[in-house]
Amino acid sequence: MAFPRLPLEALGDPSSPDSSLAVEEGRRIVACSAAAGSAGIRRGMGVAAARTRVPQLRVRLRQPSQETDALARLACWAGRFTPRLSLAPPDALLLEVGGCLRLFGGLPAILDRLAGELAAQGFSATHAVAATPQAALWFAMQMPGVRCDTPAATRQALDHLPSEVLPAEIARTLHRFGLRRLGAARCLPRAALAQRIGREAIQTLARAYGELPDLRTDFAFPARFAQSLELPSAVENAGALLFAARRLTAALAGWLAVRKAGIAACCLHLRHRQGSTPLTLAFAGATRDPPRFERVLRERLQRHVLAAPVEALRLEAGTVADLAEENGTLFAQPGDSRHAMAALLERLRARLGEARVFTLAMAPDHRPECATRRGAAGTADVTPPVRRPFWLLAIPRRLDEIGGRPHDRGALRLLSGPERIESGWWDDGEAAGDLRRDYFIALTPDQRWLWIFREARLAGDWYLHGFFA
Amino acid sequence: MSALAKDLSEVLARPDIWRGDRLVDAPIPGVPSGFASLDAHLSGGGWPRGALIEVLLDGVGLGELSLLLPTLARIKEEGGWTLLVAPPHEPHAPAWAAAGVDLARLAVVSPVRPADTLWAMEQALLSGAPEAVLSWAEQIDPRQLRRLQVAAADGSALAFLFRPARAAQESSVAPLRLRLSSGHEGALTIHILKRRGPPLHAPLHLILPRPARWRSHESSAPLAGVGVSASAAGSPRRSVVA
Repeated sequence: MAFPRLPLEALGDPSSPDSSLAVEEGRRIVACSAAAGSAGIRRGMGVAAARTRVPQLRVRLRQPSQETDALARLACWAGRFTPRLSLAPPDALLLEVGGCLRLFGGLPAILDRLAGELAAQGFSATHAVAATPQAALWFAMQMPGVRCDTPAATRQALDHLPSEVLPAEIARTLHRFGLRRLGAARCLPRAALAQRIGREAIQTLARAYGELPDLRTDFAFPARFAQSLELPSAVENAGALLFAARRLTAALAGWLAVRKAGIAACCLHLRHRQGSTPLTLAFAGATRDPPRFERVLRERLQRHVLAAPVEALRLEAGTVADLAEENGTLFAQPGDSRHAMAALLERLRARLGEARVFTLAMAPDHRPECATRRGAAGTADVTPPVRRPFWLLAIPRRLDEIGGRPHDRGALRLLSGPERIESGWWDDGEAAGDLRRDYFIALTPDQRWLWIFREARLAGDWYLHGFFA
Repeated sequence: MSALAKDLSEVLARPDIWRGDRLVDAPIPGVPSGFASLDAHLSGGGWPRGALIEVLLDGVGLGELSLLLPTLARIKEEGGWTLLVAPPHEPHAPAWAAAGVDLARLAVVSPVRPADTLWAMEQALLSGAPEAVLSWAEQIDPRQLRRLQVAAADGSALAFLFRPARAAQESSVAPLRLRLSSGHEGALTIHILKRRGPPLHAPLHLILPRPARWRSHESSAPLAGVGVSASAAGSPRRSVVA
């Protein structure tokens, strides 16, 4: 895959593709947006010449270090597709996809997914498939879209490649012989040609044609994931942040896929001119699913009020947990709902806050106020007491006593009780504290079932504590 | 003549033809409510899936949850999740567990703003993850109801929406609407306001499991036991000594 606009796209400007934007190095244009390209701006053109064609052209300085970072991030991301890949600096990636075609459902399917995910991150790529890495690289740059999956087809297509794919000096030499295509050069005696254009170029050709082994170092995935992304300008809106952060989460997902791992939390640092804000993204379980990253990220960013414009992002993976590759199932299984539920809870938590979405567990405490515990995995061996109400008032409501009977919109009829609950002497002064109560099940005149209690002391007050709904 | 009659019966057998005097044969069978007399009056023989079910009552404590308990216990057997959205009070975990609800698969969402309640309910229904969504909404306008019905129809969850009884006056897109009131001797009275089928004029009376035996008068013993004083009537039954 080649990224002809990498110098531009690495800057991460989320502006619309219709705007004319270019990147220069040494007063020469090295990359430009599609709009600028259609207005006649070409690579290698002087900045002044470009400006005469498109007066409103915005020109930015090339940032080679950001391009290197961007390429490494893209390599991480591509780890989701294949663990064997290598960088072809300055602006290309080589992916070994032969081994994973079945997994993704064939070549067209994998290419579609690659293109789709790149577009979501704001990268435009040209790609080609060939039997040797060198040939794939040349095709991606010169004849994008070519798919030669057999060595024979690759050789045939290589013959049609213009000789410009070789270094400029060698290409000029070949042109002087009238050799405009690689196929023509290949017809000449090898030894004589080597004398003219050098041994190195001959070897490059031989590697492209698969006659010499092409040894490339595989991309070494970093041991720890912590990547930064400079933003082109200070950003204040969540949409632009989401766009930029998507590049980081995509890289994270690929990195996790290579290690067959997932994370339960990661931290996105928003760096301001002064200081930075950490934003923790928590997931209901270990995951490396990009849509889940995206959902949680979106909800978090929408809820977060930016203290200051953001100049850079940094994503750090939390503790990495092993996450086995999932086997696809032929039919939907009931177990799927567990994942869907985890994703749902995550989504609700991201928007409403951690404390607002919880599960319940029983706690081994006789005091009704202390018998429900939020969140924590409960102690399973608690036997629930019988005759307890579904709803409990957070604070018991005092009931009037008229003629010795508790009243709540009329005299209450006591149907069952008393049940003495006496507990908690050890945490006197705590929220629930030491209780001595006699509980009754009572019926209101309009037939509602209440759980009420009377303080177990002489002339104790009546309280409403719950509802048997 | 006979050919015509045959054609007519064929037409009437089509699933999208509904005769006004019959219950609709629901394409997806309903989830049995656990109360045969109620199921007999619901199309599909139970709570419809993928449809908003409105339960109208004022306040709490009539037995509105007891009505759903057999359904929730069935969901536990199937390993499904139940989600409570904006419950009116704190759920008391021991009671839910004792009633046969799987606490490990019960989640509670308690948003602060009413708008978030609707959002949470919609998300839950769209996700298709929980088997049952129980939610409580004080104020909800017809447009929001329509959104929820669309979300419910997208999935196959049981979508119960508890609303105040005055909502019975308003129109609603929910395919099933029930109004609950207290019945005779501890029974629960259900008026089916709307269903997929002909209107039902007579209310149903269900005998629900209650925490205590219903009595028309209270026996004087327990009240005397505390009312006088603990020592005079003997110590009350101690269930807990800690």
